This record gives sequence, C-alpha cells and structure tokens, in this order.
Amino acid sequence: MGHFRGVSSGSRVMQRRYIAFMLWFVGRAIVAASKADKDVKQEFEAFPDGFTFSLGSLPSGPRMVIQKKAPGKVRYLGQGKGEAIDLNLTIKHLQAFFMILSFQESTATANARARLFVDGGVPEACAVVRVMDIVQVYLLPKVIAKLAVKRYPVWSWRRHILGRSVVYLRTVTGI
Amino acid sequence: MHNPGYYDFFCGVKTVASHQALACIPNLLRELGASKPMIIADKGVVAAGLVAIVEEALSPAMPAMAVEDDVPVDSDVTTVHRIAKAYHGKGCDALIAVGGGSVMDTAKGVNIMVSEEAENLLDFSGTGVLKRPLKPLVAVPTTAGTGSEVTLVAVINDPSINRKLLFSSPFLLPDIAILDPRMTLTLPPHLTAATGMDAMTHAIEAYTCLGKNPMSDAFAMEAISLISKHLLPVVNQPDDKEGRLALAVAANLAGIAFSNSMVGMVHTLGHSVGGVCHVPHGTCMSILLPYGLEYNMHKSGPWTGELLLPIAGEAIYAATPRELRAEKTVAWLREFNEGLYKATEGRHSRCFKEVTTRDGSPAVPREALGDIAKTALGDGSIFYNPEELDFEDALMVMEAAWEGLPLDMDFVKTA
Repeated sequence: MGHFRGVSSGSRVMQRRYIAFMLWFVGRAIVAASKADKDVKQEFEAFPDGFTFSLGSLPSGPRMVIQKKAPGKVRYLGQGKGEAIDLNLTIKHLQAFFMILSFQESTATANARARLFVDGGVPEACAVVRVMDIVQVYLLPKVIAKLAVKRYPVWSWRRHILGRSVVYLRTVTGI
Repeated sequence: MHNPGYYDFFCGVKTVASHQALACIPNLLRELGASKPMIIADKGVVAAGLVAIVEEALSPAMPAMAVEDDVPVDSDVTTVHRIAKAYHGKGCDALIAVGGGSVMDTAKGVNIMVSEEAENLLDFSGTGVLKRPLKPLVAVPTTAGTGSEVTLVAVINDPSINRKLLFSSPFLLPDIAILDPRMTLTLPPHLTAATGMDAMTHAIEAYTCLGKNPMSDAFAMEAISLISKHLLPVVNQPDDKEGRLALAVAANLAGIAFSNSMVGMVHTLGHSVGGVCHVPHGTCMSILLPYGLEYNMHKSGPWTGELLLPIAGEAIYAATPRELRAEKTVAWLREFNEGLYKATEGRHSRCFKEVTTRDGSPAVPREALGDIAKTALGDGSIFYNPEELDFEDALMVMEAAWEGLPLDMDFVKTA
C-alpha cells in the first residue's frame, strides 16, 4: 500500500466565526422569545422538562444547545457541556450552514436538498423549526426574513414592534 | 426540467415483476444467506388465499418457519413487539411481508427489533437512528398503492399517545420487492380505488413538492400515466391481470419517486386523519389530493399544470391554455374520484363526511377536525410542502375536505 498524506478540509475561518456568532445570537434570541412570544412559549410548554436540542454543523461544529429546564425556564447552553441531546439538527457541512445563516437558502430549501439531518423525534423537530422561524421573523428585516421562511407571517404591529424590541433587548442583555 | 441545484437519488431494492414473480423468492433469499423465513401478513390476506399462494411458491425449496397473520389495519408498536418475540422463538433468519402498507411497516418494525435485538421499538423512532444493515426482508405487496416495498420509512402507531411515529433510514429498505399480479387480483374494487389513489398521491406530491428532482420526476410521471390509464378499467374489471401488473408497477415507481423527493401536506393531513380517526390511508389521500394541489397552487401551479399531460392525455393537454392547466388538473382529479365513486357504488368516498366505520357511523366527526389539524403540525412531511401550513390553514383545508367543497382561495394565505 502506498503512503498518503492526510487531507483536512479548509478551516473557513471567517465563515466559522460568522456562524458561531449567529448561533450565539439566535440561541439567546430563542430564550428571549420563549419568555416574550406566546407561540414560542406554547411550543416550549409542549416539551418535557430537561428536553435538550442542538443545531450545528458537521464535522465538528459550531453548534448551539438549548435546554428546557422547567416550565417557563429555557436555557442557552452555548456549544453544550456534554448534556444528553434529545434532538440533534445537523447541517451537512459548514458551507451549507453558511448559506442558510446568510439567507441565501431557506431552511425549507436546505431540508429539501438533504442538507439537514434530524436525529430524534420528528414532532419535536417540527416544533423547533417553527420556533426558529418565529425568531428569524423577530430578528430580521422583512426583506431578509422573507428569504428565510416559507411565508412571512401577518402579525399585529404590536407583535412586530413591541415583540421585536423585547426580544432584541432580552437577547442582548440576557435578562 | 426543474434543476434543484442539489439532489440525491437512491433505490437499493431489487424489484422482480412478472405474472410468476413469487417463484423467485427461495433463490433470492438464498443469495442473501437466509433459509428460514417468517411470513408476516394480516387476516384479510390469509382469508383471500394469498399467503397460501406464497407458501406454495416457497415450498418445498424453502418452507416458511412461521406465519404471523395478526397484523391490525394500522400497524402498532404492540404488534411489532409480539411478532419480534415469535421470530426469535421460531429461530427465523429472514422476513417475508405479504400485505399492504400496514403489514410492510410492521415487518420493517419487526426487522428493527430482531436485527438490533432491541427491547423497545420506540428507541428507534425518528430519522437516521439505525446505523447498520438489518435482516433480509422480502416485500410482497398485495395492494398497488403504498409503495412500501421500495420506501425507507415505516409509520407505526403508538396507541399510548395516539400518534403515528415515523421511522426513517436507508436500512429499512426491503432487500427484494416482488410484484406479482396474483397478489392483487382479489382486491375489492373500492380498495383497488383507494390504494391506486394513494400511489397517485405519492407520485403527484413527489412531482409538486419541494424535494422534486429530475430523476424522481421521471418515475412520478410514468406512475401517474399508468394509474390514469389503468385504475378505472381495473376497478370496473378486477380480473384484468395486465392492468393489475401495470398498477403494481405504477405503485412501485411512485414509491421510488416519493422516497427520493418526499411528500407534502396531503400526507401531513392524511397521517393525522389516520392517527386520530383511523381512516384508511388511501381514502385520506384520494380525498385530500385535490385540496393539497389547490392550496399550493400559487407556489407549485406550473408543476401541477404539467401533470395534465400524463393525467388527461395529449389532446386535452394541448387544448388547454398553459395558465389553466393546473386548475384543469385539479378538476380532472375530482372527476376521477367521482368516476371511482360511481364504479364502486359509493364505497370510494369523495369527502370525509362520507367516510363511515364498519357499523355505519361517521368515521370523521366534525368535532375531530381541530385535533386532526393540531396533530398534523408534528408530521415530518410538512417540511416538504411548498407553502407554510399552520393550525388555521390545516383546519381550513380539513373543513373543506370534510364538506367536499373546493377550497375558498380567498382564505389561502399567500404572503
């Protein structure tokens, strides 16, 4: 047998940093929305206590981990600290993740193109995707959010303006 | 041709199709290193004499070690656990599933249990949980509809939470699919109609939902063409062997198409109706198919319009202006359902209020529509639907499908 040099994929430093930042922000925003938005709150209420899910990229992250600790208590656990994960949402590779988080490709399209793997319960995965859709609508301007979700929702101005302000405030301050 | 930018396509099932295909099973199993098969079937299949035909084809070369014929209409976890125990008890080393979707799904569930030596099937629910090949599985469909003989999913009911659980993995694909028209000759006309429309729905949703790709499109188109041509004649003349074989092939093609493109809201809602009200899957599909196409019309109308060619033929396709083809496709499907309703003397339901249980009471009470809509939101096929579907949308579609009225397009949210 010949000798072969080990080849590893490029590190894509800037993409990795951008994704890590977005996951940090979205993770905190999910926690914020779980307190501020009735639909997100309702989705989390349906999860059992201790339910933990993760969204990340193959082969080695980055990723974010969210846990419902108790009713009304949702925690962002950063990259995770060895918790048992009930639901793993994994994007095939960093480049695909970058396309999703830079809104060049919607979550639905990414899923249809087999870039997203679900390891865990499908009903829970559906709920998490709905939560992330709502959070994206809060965080992004309409023109960009329309690229990320299948259908931009019709919300009251109160939910759009007030809800968005609260979600942003809680995301940034962590309160 | 629609190029999605990226797609993958796979079908790892060896398909044998002929008027005497069953005779090949012993040799095919031997090639897989198996010699002690267990047959899984349901009471109806046994009563129709189909298991006897399979046993005759197996013996004396490879007689079945056991026959488990107690699979319920909706495959469930308890049955899977019971059959897995019997498999170990009889020392079997392969499975032959003889039946419709429920039997196939049960056999796939049993295969998970016996291959993984598992205690609880629920540990393997979801996508990608299985990590290694399972025991040899031969699929002998007795309906031309589900396409389960070539699909990598199993849907198994968990009565404790009243929900159908999805198991998905390439390892769930059967090793061999046997298409032998003797297996569908005795299928009553109304079941032939419902299962045929199930296959039609697989093909149409594969063609019109987000996962479509050029290869699955080719399979879907041929399936739609075959079903459009043969379903009504076979319902009218059940002993049409050539027609039966054509429908079996169509169901197989449609199964391959939707395994690679997945399906959308017709299945999302249909699974929920099945889970909540125990309505046969094919009936749900035939009722909901026109509604799914109507609901998605503003997103997938051009693709729906293309289907007018295999559905209605060249003359009607050419005579219909491009912008009207999608609506014409939906109208044709409603007429097709009407034709099947007449051919089956009213046993092929056109709307949910017509569906009854064995004792004649309504199978889908109007009060259940809310539960159905809520359950639908946890179904994985919702990801692949072109348009978003929330609780209100699902309820609106279900109410129209219950009444049998076309969707009021003013209430379909488009942005």
